[in-house]
Amino acid sequence: MKLAFIFALAAGISLFGGASDSALPSEPAADGAQTNINARYIVEGVNLLGSETKALSRSLRAELKQVVGANLDSRRLEKLASRIKEELRVTGVKVHVAKGTMPGHVLVNFEVAKKPVDLKVAKFLYDSKGGWSGEASATTRAAGNSFTLGLVSDDDALVERDTGIRAKFERDNLGTDWLGMRFEFDDFHEMWNQSTVAEDPSGIYRSRQTFMPEARVFLAEPLEVDFGVRFARFRLSTPGAMTESSNAVVSTLRYHQRWGSGSDVQEQDLEGSYSLDAAMHLLQTDADYVRQTAQARYMFRHDRSRVEVSFMAGRTGGETPLFDRFVLGNASMLRGWSKFDLDPMGGSRVVYGSVDYSYRYYQVFYDTGAVWNLAPEREQKQSVGVGFKKEGFQLAVAFPVGAPRAIPVFFAGMNF
Amino acid sequence: MFAAFLSGMALAMLAEDLILDHRNNRLEFSAPRTDFFAGSPMARLKNAAEVPFVIQTTLWSGNQHHVYRTAVDRFVVSFDIFEETYSVVKSEAPRKSASHLTAKAAQAWCLSQMSLDTTGLSGGEPLWARLEISAEDPPRDGSILGSVSDSGISLGSLIDFFSRTGGLQTHLKLDYPAFTLDQLKSTRGS
Repeated sequence: MKLAFIFALAAGISLFGGASDSALPSEPAADGAQTNINARYIVEGVNLLGSETKALSRSLRAELKQVVGANLDSRRLEKLASRIKEELRVTGVKVHVAKGTMPGHVLVNFEVAKKPVDLKVAKFLYDSKGGWSGEASATTRAAGNSFTLGLVSDDDALVERDTGIRAKFERDNLGTDWLGMRFEFDDFHEMWNQSTVAEDPSGIYRSRQTFMPEARVFLAEPLEVDFGVRFARFRLSTPGAMTESSNAVVSTLRYHQRWGSGSDVQEQDLEGSYSLDAAMHLLQTDADYVRQTAQARYMFRHDRSRVEVSFMAGRTGGETPLFDRFVLGNASMLRGWSKFDLDPMGGSRVVYGSVDYSYRYYQVFYDTGAVWNLAPEREQKQSVGVGFKKEGFQLAVAFPVGAPRAIPVFFAGMNF
Repeated sequence: MFAAFLSGMALAMLAEDLILDHRNNRLEFSAPRTDFFAGSPMARLKNAAEVPFVIQTTLWSGNQHHVYRTAVDRFVVSFDIFEETYSVVKSEAPRKSASHLTAKAAQAWCLSQMSLDTTGLSGGEPLWARLEISAEDPPRDGSILGSVSDSGISLGSLIDFFSRTGGLQTHLKLDYPAFTLDQLKSTRGS
């Protein structure tokens, strides 16, 4: 019976009997006539609450502008809410319609829903060479502030395995949308690969604490700059060694622009950043060094085909601690190689490029790069791989090209 | 006569949420104590959205396996946020509409369109009737994209995603127990 009901609904037909004339007053409705009585009202304005309009793509912002001055169309608003949700990657966007300031006019508010308390798995990775890495956190939000406390065990990003806690406080709006701030505190216990220990036992440390207050300024629409200070203390493993400090001014200039979104046939995304970190005696650091990194990523998607090109170059000068040295041969860069085979101490110079092509969920990629300390050591490495990727989840196998032993590396996980 | 009166009273008590009336060879349905706009549909209506309701009426005769008549229709309801009155558009042919109604009147209008033809049924034949009302949910994003962001996967959103139901939620089913057209007449007469 229920099946017949649903079938009849889908087919839009009445079964057997028909409906009678109404005893209550009714009038014939024209085919194609508006079914929402509010469609006669004009949209006076559109607001995005709980997020920044500048975080949306140009095409979506243009579409939101088109709503103003037009008749209210609740179905169109639902579709726009869905697109906002998709672009901002948030849990939900609600549409609120209220009476406007003029008769016959309405105001439309898109409200970005954020859970007051949320548990999140920020990263999860199994790498057949490096083992498990993961990060989980709990975030609570109140009055525009968010507090996050997380547990981390990461053997992928650096030459060390960081295990410990990460606490963050963030506020996106400091009186103006153009200024935000964040504080981060990390307390990690370190574990080291034997090849790193064998290379230079005096450079390794048992624990590391970092405190980083940082401000974010939106300069112009696609440009923003982060600047702050990072105070790091680490206890060397050498018996009798003192705790050392590495205090640096940190800054990043970031560009991010996108055209189209997931619901469009074509989508482009361009990101670029330049970071400059300088550890100086002025901040009572034990060793001076400067670290510069330039990164770029361009993504083009047409229908189900997607190409992503990434590039990174970096150099450090001075006595750079291990946590600030460059690493290739992990789950995100020069996949297929082992970072410990390339440089177990991390390098002071790096150049890296990658091309990913995916069709629906299937991907192939090519990575190339070099990490080195002295020019004669520089050697370009390459790798290729195939995988399956869907909304942050990824399963891939990568092969080092030209390695003495071409052992493939398997990756499985999320957001790595 | 007295027995007919008693059985009619019993029917009325058993099926107090669903009331049947038989006029001009048509079985009419009403449910004055039931507010099918209440809850999430009402929240959407007050937010200037239109809410489609699918209503089905069914009549079984002889036994509960033999469907004698059934009717399905779709009613799109909206709430005028300035005038604070309801409008309804009946989607299936003949397409009709009613406006400037209270919530109760709008619901009554919908049900008034759902009567069933009883031509050919004898007065003593055992019958069963059912009224089903479903509110269509707004279309939902079919992916778990909202759960996954650059900062990770939200467990709360994942739970929400896997707890979702389909786009059509049956939220009301009212059954009228076994009756005959003669009993309905006597109930009305009493």
